[in-house]
Amino acid sequence: MKFHFFHLMPYPDLPADFRDKYSSVWVDVPVSLYDPAVANRSYGDYLDELEYADQVGFDGICVNEHHQNAYGLMPSPNLMAAALARRTSHAKLVVMGNSVALYNPPTRVAEEMAMLDVMSGGRLVAGFPVGTPQDTVFAYGQSPATLREKYREGVGLVLRAWQEPGVFSFNGKYTQLRYVNVWPRPVQKPRPPVWVPGGASVETWDWCVENDFLYANLSYFGYLEAQKVMDGFWASVKRHDVEPNPYHAGFLQFVGVADSDAEAERLYAEPAKYFYRNCLHVGAGYVNPPGYTSLATIRAGIEGQVARITRRAGSRAELATLGWKDFIDRGYVVAGSPDTVVDKLTELATKLNIGHLMVLLHFGNMSRETTLYNTTRFAKEIIPRLRDRFSDWEDKWWPRDTLAAPAKPQPVAAE
Amino acid sequence: MLTSETVRLPRSGRTWHVFGGGAGQPLLWLHGPRGVDASDPLLEALAARHRIVAPLAPGFADLDELGEIDSIPELALDYDDLLRSLKLGSLPIVGHSFGAMIAAELAAHFPDRPTRLVLIAPVGLWNDAYPVADLFAVPVGEMDQVLWHDVAARDAYAARLAVAASTQDQVEQMLALTRNLTSLTKFLWPIPDKGLRRRLRRIAAPTLILFGAEDKFVPARYAADFAAGIAASESLVLKGAGHMVPYEKTADTAAAIERFLARN
Repeated sequence: MKFHFFHLMPYPDLPADFRDKYSSVWVDVPVSLYDPAVANRSYGDYLDELEYADQVGFDGICVNEHHQNAYGLMPSPNLMAAALARRTSHAKLVVMGNSVALYNPPTRVAEEMAMLDVMSGGRLVAGFPVGTPQDTVFAYGQSPATLREKYREGVGLVLRAWQEPGVFSFNGKYTQLRYVNVWPRPVQKPRPPVWVPGGASVETWDWCVENDFLYANLSYFGYLEAQKVMDGFWASVKRHDVEPNPYHAGFLQFVGVADSDAEAERLYAEPAKYFYRNCLHVGAGYVNPPGYTSLATIRAGIEGQVARITRRAGSRAELATLGWKDFIDRGYVVAGSPDTVVDKLTELATKLNIGHLMVLLHFGNMSRETTLYNTTRFAKEIIPRLRDRFSDWEDKWWPRDTLAAPAKPQPVAAE
Repeated sequence: MLTSETVRLPRSGRTWHVFGGGAGQPLLWLHGPRGVDASDPLLEALAARHRIVAPLAPGFADLDELGEIDSIPELALDYDDLLRSLKLGSLPIVGHSFGAMIAAELAAHFPDRPTRLVLIAPVGLWNDAYPVADLFAVPVGEMDQVLWHDVAARDAYAARLAVAASTQDQVEQMLALTRNLTSLTKFLWPIPDKGLRRRLRRIAAPTLILFGAEDKFVPARYAADFAAGIAASESLVLKGAGHMVPYEKTADTAAAIERFLARN
C-alpha cells in the first residue's frame, strides 16, 4: 500500500458562531473574517507539515484547488507544489489537481504541471478534477451545462500537449490553438500518471477505466459510506475486463493516532468538529446547480440519489450537532490507538480495495504541534504495519521515471 | 386546450416540439422558465383571437438539442429555421422571461420577423445598480419564492400542472425542471448579458415591455434599460405581480397584449 499526506489548508480562525451567523464558507464567505497574518502563519505551518511528511516517509504529499472559500486556502495548488518541489526530495507531488476547465487555454495546466515534474525530477502525479460547483460554476463562472464537456476536451488537450512529438494545432469546441508546443515537457514518459478525483457517476468510472486514470474518491464521510461508490468503480473495471488492481483506486480518510481511543478524542475531537461544523458549511444553493450532475446520473441512481440528498440535507443541518462518537461510529474519522487505527484501515483497504490511501492528519483548526504528533505516529506506527498489503500488485499509476540524480537546492552564501 | 406536434428539420437534424391552437392570425409565443404546456392559461386566452405557435425551447425536451447551439446567434438561427419550415413570415412575437430574451434576439437578428414585439419580464440585460437575481443559486424548493409574488396564483399554477402531469411520476417532473434550468444556464450564466444591449438598436418593430412590479428575478426597473435601446417602445408595469406576471395577472396581461397588437 502507499500512503499520502493530504492537506486541505483550511482557514483556521473562523469564529465560534460562524455557522449561526454566516450562510456559507464558500463563494460569498465574508472577507471581513479573513486576516492575512493568520493566513501567512497558516501557509508556513501547512508547508512545514507537508515537508515533514516527506521526511518521515510518506509516499506522496497532496495539495488541491479551491476558490473563494475558507475551507481551503489553495486557489493555486501549483504554487504550493512548486514550493514543495524545492524543499522535498522523496515524496511524490500529488497535485489533486487542476480543474482544467478553469484555465484558458488549458495548455497552461500542461505547462505548469510539466514545470513541476521537471523541478521535482519526475515526482509529479497529475490530478484532474472537474471541480466542485462552488469553485467552477459559482466562483469561476462556468456554465454547468457545458462544464464537463469543456473539462474533458481540456484534459485531452493537456495529455496531447505532453505527448505529441512536435507542434500541433488544436481545433476544439472550447479551445482553438494554431500552435501547441509545450516547453518544458515532463520528465515522465509518456506522461505523468493521471489521477481523477471524481464523484459517484457511471460516466466518470468508465472514463477513468477507459483512459487508464486512477479513480480517487475524496470523501468527507469516511470509508463506511464509501462502499457503494467504490463498488461502482470496481464494477466498471470488471465490465471493461480490466484486472481489479487496488492501485487503480485512491481514497481519502481522516485519521488521528494517539495512545488510546480516549486520548484520541482529547486530541482530535475539537479539530474534527471545526471541520464538520465550519468547513462544510456550504450555502445550500451552491451545492448542486442545475446541470452539474448529469440527468443520466440522477436517473441511474434516482432512488439512492433522492435518499442521499435527503440524508445529506439532514446531515448538513446536523453537522453542527455531531459529536466525537458520531464521527467515530460513522467512520468519518478513523482515530484511536495504533491498534484501532490499523484495524479500521485494514478494513477500509480490504473492503474498498484501495492501494492508494490519502490521509488527512491535519483537519479543521488542528494545531501544528498536534499535526506533527499525529503525522509522526502515523508514519512510525501505522504505515509499517500496512505497508506490505497488496505487494503482489504492480502500481501502474505512480511516477516511474524519477531522475536518478535530480538537481538539489544549493544555497549560495552571500558575500 | 392546445395540441402539440413534432416538427423535424431534416437539414439541421433538429426536432422541435411545437404547441398550437386557436384561430386567426398566427402569434409566436416564446415561453419562460417553466416551459409550455397544453393548458397554459395565458395561451388559452390569446387563442381566442390568434393561432398560437408555441415551440419548446431547445434543451427543454432533450439537453442534446443544445449540442449544436453554442451562441446567441446560433440560437436565433435555430428559431428562424423553425419559422421558415413552418412557412411563417412576419408575425407578432410575444415572449416571457428567457423567451422574451429569445424574442428580442430574434428581432435584433431578423428585424423584419416581428410585426410587433411583446417582451414580458425579459432577461438579457445587466445593470450593476440593480442586478438580476441568481436563480441558479436558489435551491429548487425555494425557487418559487423568487419567481412569484402572488402566492394564490402560484399555488393554482402548481395545482394545474399537478393535474396535467398526474400520469407522470415525480421523478420525471424533477428531471424536467432540472433540464429546463440547465438549458437556461447555457445562455444566462454567469451574467445574463450576452451583448443584447448592443443589438437592441436593430429592433425595428413596435415593442411593448411589460413587467410585474414585484419581480424579484428581473427587477421591473429593467423596463427602462430595454426601452432605452429599442426605438419604438413603451412600457407597462402591472402592480401585484412578480416574474410570473402572465400567470399572476393573466387577464390583465392578455388584455395588454391584445390592446397593443390591435394598434396599427
